[in-house]
This record gives sequence, C-alpha cells and structure tokens, in this order.
Amino acid sequence: MKNINLTGHLTLWRYGCSAISILLMIMSLTIIGVKGFNWGLDFTGGVVTEIQLDKKITSSELQPLLNAAYQQDVTVISASEPGRWVLRYADIISTDMNTADAEQSHVDIQQVLAPLHTEVQVLNSSIVGPQIGQELAEQGGVALLVAMLCILGYLSYRFEWRLASGALFALLHDVVFVLAFFALTQMEFNLTILAAVLAILGYSLNDSIIIADRIRELLIAKPKLSIQEINNQAIVATFSRTMVTSGTTLMTVGALWIMGGGPLEGFSIAMFIGILTGTFSSISVGTSLPEFLGLTPEHYKAQIISDAP
Amino acid sequence: MEIKSNKRLLNHYSAWKYLVLIVSLIVMLFSALPTLYGEDAAVQVGAKAGLTLAPVALRDKLQAEGVTVKRIDQKDGETLIVLDEDNQQTLVKTLLSSMVTEPKELTLSLASAAPSWLQNLGFQPIKLGLDLRGGVQFLLDVDIEPVYQTQAEALVDSLRQFIREQKIRGASVHLDQDNQLNLTLPDNDARAAVRQMMKESYPNWQLSNLDGASLQIKLSQEEQIKLRNLTVQQNLQVMRSRIEELGITEALVQRQGDHRIRIELPGIQDPAAAKNVIGATASLAFFEVKESGSVNAMVLNDQSGKPIYVSRTPVLGGDHIIDARASLGEMGMAEVNINLDRVGGQKMSEFSRINIGKPMATSYSEYSRDEQGKAKQTQEIISVATIQSQLGDRFRITGAGTYQEAQQLALLLRAGSMTAPVTIVEERTIGPTLGAENIANGFAALGLGMGITLLFMALWYRRLGWVANIALISNMVILFGLLALIPGAVLTLPGIAGLVLTVGMAVDTNVLIFERIKDKLKEGRSFALAIDTGFDSAFSTIFDANFTTMITAVVLYSIGNGPIQGFALTLGLGLLTSMFTGIFASRALINLVYGRDASRHVRV
Repeated sequence: MKNINLTGHLTLWRYGCSAISILLMIMSLTIIGVKGFNWGLDFTGGVVTEIQLDKKITSSELQPLLNAAYQQDVTVISASEPGRWVLRYADIISTDMNTADAEQSHVDIQQVLAPLHTEVQVLNSSIVGPQIGQELAEQGGVALLVAMLCILGYLSYRFEWRLASGALFALLHDVVFVLAFFALTQMEFNLTILAAVLAILGYSLNDSIIIADRIRELLIAKPKLSIQEINNQAIVATFSRTMVTSGTTLMTVGALWIMGGGPLEGFSIAMFIGILTGTFSSISVGTSLPEFLGLTPEHYKAQIISDAP
Repeated sequence: MEIKSNKRLLNHYSAWKYLVLIVSLIVMLFSALPTLYGEDAAVQVGAKAGLTLAPVALRDKLQAEGVTVKRIDQKDGETLIVLDEDNQQTLVKTLLSSMVTEPKELTLSLASAAPSWLQNLGFQPIKLGLDLRGGVQFLLDVDIEPVYQTQAEALVDSLRQFIREQKIRGASVHLDQDNQLNLTLPDNDARAAVRQMMKESYPNWQLSNLDGASLQIKLSQEEQIKLRNLTVQQNLQVMRSRIEELGITEALVQRQGDHRIRIELPGIQDPAAAKNVIGATASLAFFEVKESGSVNAMVLNDQSGKPIYVSRTPVLGGDHIIDARASLGEMGMAEVNINLDRVGGQKMSEFSRINIGKPMATSYSEYSRDEQGKAKQTQEIISVATIQSQLGDRFRITGAGTYQEAQQLALLLRAGSMTAPVTIVEERTIGPTLGAENIANGFAALGLGMGITLLFMALWYRRLGWVANIALISNMVILFGLLALIPGAVLTLPGIAGLVLTVGMAVDTNVLIFERIKDKLKEGRSFALAIDTGFDSAFSTIFDANFTTMITAVVLYSIGNGPIQGFALTLGLGLLTSMFTGIFASRALINLVYGRDASRHVRV
C-alpha cells in the first residue's frame, strides 16, 4: 500500500467499479420500471395451494381441469420436487363466516382432480383476503421507510454527512439491485423476500460502516495524506476482514440455498445477491462518493478539538 | 490510553466475570437441551373424563388398534398418553372418545421428550411456529361499525321517547351514514333540555350546536376506542372458549392490531372443521312481538319468509347466555335449553311476568361477507313462542330445526354471543409433512453452514480460530437457550434462516478483533499488548456495525407478522448473543491462554 503505483491502480480500479455500480443501478431501476414485480400472495391476496400428485401427471393435464373448476386462469407452477405443484388463483370464495355458504362455494380439489385417478395430497394452502394483502404491502413499505430513516439518522449522528452519504448510496444500490433481480427473473416477491431486503439493509451497511470507520480513523490520524490515499489505505486495511466475513456469510447463505428447500429459496437468493453487491458497493461507490463530494481531513478536525478539551 | 493500560493488569478478567460467564453458559445449555429431544404428540385425558381403564389395559387396547404408545402417565386422575407417531394423535382421540363418558375432556397436546430431570428443572423446548409444526391459522376481522350503529340506534329510540315525554313539538331525529345523529329542535329551550338529558344519561356522546336550534350528536373518540376494545375483547373471549371446544391445548388466540384476531391451531389438518366452530358468527336475541303494522317496530322474516313485527330493541341479547344445550324434548322435538346469567334472568323474568300469554320471538343472526367483501347481516326469526309462564334464568326454546341443527346452535350459543360481525380475512394451512420437512431442511442448512464456518475459521486463523469457534458454538447454545426461555418466542422457518445468517455474521465480531490484533502485531507490539489494544480498538466498529442491523431487526419485529417476527427475533437476539460471546467470552478465553504472552513475532 505504500507503493504509489499500487495506490494509483487502486484508485483507478475503484473509480471504474463505481462507474459500473452507477451503470448497474440505472439499469436496475429501468428493469424494475419496465417489468415490475411478481407480487406474492401476501401482497395481492388470493389462494395458493401446494399439492402432491403422482409424478407422471403433467401440468398440461392439470391446467384445463383447474381452469374449468375455478373459472379462471389458474397458475400452475411445479414445485421443488417432482409431483409437487403450486396452484395459485384469485379468491373466488368470499371468505365468509357463514359455514353453510362456504361449504357450497368451496371447490374441492380432490373432486376437481378426480378424472386424473391419482391420490391428491394437500400439503399447504393459504387464503389471503384482498384487504390484508393491501395492508401488508403498506406495512412493508412503512417498514422499509422507517428502517431507512432510522439508519439515516444514526449514520448522520455517527459520521460526517459526506461519509454517510457514501454508505447510504451503497445501501440504495444494493437494495435496488436485489429488487431488479426479482423484477428480471419474475420470482415471487413475498413477505419473506421483503424481510431479506430489510436484512440486506443492515448487512450492506455493515461493510460500509466498517470501512467508513477506518476512513475516519485515518483522517484523524494522518491528516496530511490525500483523500484518495486514505480511502485506499482504509480499503486495504479492512480488505481481509471484508473477505472473511462476506465469505462466511455467503457460505452459510449458500448452505441455506442448497439445503433450505423451496420456502427459503427466494430468501437465500436475495441474501446471496445482497451480500455480494453489498461487499462490492462498499468498496467501490461507498468510498468514492465521499471523495467526489469533497471529503477532506478538515471535516474531522473540528471534532478532534471539541473532543479533547 | 497507553499509559492507562500499563497501570491496570493487562489482559486480566476478575473471577466474578468468569463465574458470570460459566453460570450463564450452563443455564443456557440446560435451557437449550430439551429442544434437542423435541416433543411428542400426546392426548390428555382430563380428570372429569370418566376414564375407567388402567394404564396397562389402555395401552393394550390402543395397541390392538395399531397405535404405538410411548408412555402413559397417570397423575391426580389425569392421564397423559404419549404417542410414538405424531400422525396418530387424531386417531387416538377418536378411539378414546368411545372409552370415556365426557369426550370434551380429551385434548390434543404435546409432551416434552426430554428426560424428566430436565423437565423438573422447569426447562421447556422451543415453541415451534405453525410453519414448522403444521396446522391451521386464521386471521379474523372484527367489524366494529355495527356496534356503533346499535349504540346510535338505541340513542335514537330514547331521544324519540324523551321528545314525546317532554311534548316537544316539531322535533325530528335523523341518523346518518356515519352513525351521527342530527336532531332538529324548535327552540333553544328544547335544545337546553336535550343537552341536560344527554349530560345526565349519555355522557359518552359529543354534542355540537348546528344552525337554528339543531344538535349534532356523535360518539366521542375515546368512547369509540373503548367500545372497540370491549368488542374485540369479548370476541377474543368467545373465540377462546370456542377453541376450547376443539380440544387443542397449544391453540393460540391473540389480538392483532386494532380489530383483528389471530388464531393458530397447531396439529389441526382440516381447516373446514375448525372453521365450522370458529367461523360462524351467530347471535341470539329475544324480542317482544308487536302487532303487524306497528310503527315503532322492525320487521324480521321467519324461516318461511313471513314478516313478523318485533320491538326495535331486544328484550335480551345473547351475551347474557351462560349455557345452552340441545336435547330431545317431549315428542322427540329438538330443543335448546338455555341458562341465563343473573342480570339476564332478571330482565327475562320481568319481561315475561307482564307478558304472559303473549308471543316472544327468538331471532338468530348470522354475519357473513358478500362478494365485495362487505359484511352483511342476516337476521331471521327462528321461533315465535307464546310465553307460558314467568320465565326465570332457565328456559328452553323449541323450533331450532333438527336435533343436529339444535346442537350446532347450542354450541354456538354456549360460547356466548358476538355483537360484532367477525369474518375470516386470512387462512393458512400447513400440512404436517411439510412442517416436518421445513424443520429438517432448516436444520440441515444450519448444520452445513455451521460446519463450513467452523472449518473455515479453524483453517484461516490457526492460532485464534479455536477461540472464534468456541465463541460461535456458545453463541448458538445461548441463542437456543434464550429462544426456549423467552416467553412468547416462537421459532419459525424464516427464524431458522435468521439463525443461519447469525452463524455467518457472528464470526464477524471475532474477525474484526483478530484483524486488529494482526495489525497491532505488525506494528511490532507483543502478543499480549496487541490483544489488549486489538479488542479496544475493534469495539466501536463492532458496535456501529451491529447497531444498524439491530435497527432493521427491531423495525421488522414491530411491523412484521408471525413468521417474519420469528426472523426478526433470531436476527436481533443473534446480534446480542454474538456481541456477548464474540467480545466477552472470547476475551475471557484469550486472556486465560495468551494473556501473558509477551512474544513479539507471533503469526495469527
């Protein structure tokens, strides 16, 4: 790191990556804007049923029977294992309390699939009323907003605003990227994914904060160095920690992806991507943005004087 | 800093700190242990069930039906039958119901499989969420609007009466959509009189003057909240007692938000059966029958559609009913025997005394939801019976239909009555196989993640790696122990995901410290000194990094619902325990082993 060539290299590399980050972010926003999300049952309301059938039965056999029975286009998705299907359709039953009515309007899946001559096992089913879906969506939005605001408040309290904005931009970058992935692949965006996005908020900051902590330390300790140099030194000093922690977290999330089964798949993928971009953005854009905003050791001088009377 | 650290004893923890550490670790270990053993499905036979068979005979009888019994405990007349296979629980309950006199006393439950000495210490396994255990979950919505409406309508009636009694001419009462009353009065004197009456008899209503001598009357904000709370409370109570009828000890009935009730029924596989009990909202009311064409009356249809004029306000609401049972009366007709509480009995007695020989109508209301999601009430007269004599707090009504219908009605009435319509807005069923699969997958992922992390840390930080690994293992022990200890803590599938994430992130604390120690060693300090300054300089970074994640965990917990709360819980607890073990426990270990190591060229 004392080699000037290396630092020059690093600075260039950092700027390059920042440019890539910004490009990716613009792309991500476009993708979200164009494709939108495949909102899950939690947010839209409706019915999801997971069933187990004979492995030989194909979706083309299921589809017409289901469409006729529920009088709509039923989404049939093959689940993690052969013979398992996830059916999704809008709620036709008014989820009413009147038992007699509910009994009549409830289409019995066993009867619907009777022509296939197979044993139908209902593994799980969820019915969410439309108003609940809307409420959950609102709550999710509020949660995201509140978490962001709290983090913003904490960051501006702990760090100078230029340094904080770097971490914040990196954070937005990660969240947007993960969201774009879900928009692009049209994987279902449900409550668990929302939880993952919120967890990414926390973890992405983790990396940024640790580097920012170092930058602050160096700014105070070596005020004569150029800001580029300080940033590079901070990155180098924390690099092995960044790699080890991201590595172990990626490994455990990877384990969750492999072993966790269907219900946790989306969650693990979201976390996996979030941790990858989180590491990337905290090194690149997270440190470069404060530089562009003109962070200098001066900004931490005033604090030193007030700290040590 | 340097001067200070030279003065105190370097890398020394006093004995009490070790004591705290060891005691908390042991307690947490004991607390975490029962979870390892898990829980067995069991059927509980209450003392009043009238089970006459001795445990051995009972076992033989069950075994003859192909049930493998793990053990049978009999204590104070209560019998607990612990089963080997979870899916036989319902079967056993059915088998038992023919062996006892009171099938109501049979309940499905879970018994800890841990050895009895652990259970005697008071340690319980971690409570599993529905997504791990299988079962049915409902979210009910309590519609408060009709309650306000009833209140407003009652006030309209008494205002009209007041106007009549006071002989105020040219006054009119109008009830609008928002349950606000508009009272048009002829002059200010009349307004003052109404205000006085309202102040004395209805202090909970807010009055405001309108143009002329008119008044606008509405329920005050506090009163609305109070009414809402009371209504939801009443419904909670009703739901609890209805759920009791299902015989599930682990059932959960909980208020969620302003006007929602969450019901979790672990072990239930058929939502329809549960729905039949909790679903239907029935209430019963007794009305005075008026002459047809009467002005001050409302019209209800009977089952054949014939209109019947009854008083606007019921003589008695269903909330005074204590007990209702169906039976076959004389001539084999189904009837429902009703017991009232004292107040209800008095009211009924008073009313029936002056109305002997006159008819009394019993109305049955049901609340349902139409296609647009709006609550609608269907109210019909199920019987019009002539009052034969003065009724007390015990009487019976006939004409409830077949015996089965009478039984259904009695069941609903027994659980009390509900004055607000309750509708199911969310329903989730998780099959038991899927629940077991989720547990297996989740813990397999946890095991794999933990294994990789332990291996990696051991290889990467050779000399200090074992410290990080012990810290990580004790972190998990404490985390599991806490989850079992904290009342209301529930482990869900996202919660397991949180545990797995914690494993990956928990080592961060140690990594940060070790990297700092490495730095200090590079600067040429002795190992002991590097340890001391390493820990000190890493602390603020660790705190900063964990604090932001803590923010998201808290936000998630306060805003999320069941499974997500489980994630927030393990995430947040994991942060706390990882700080405890990563900083405190690993420092304690390092102090013991390397605390006096003055060598300089150590590789970590």
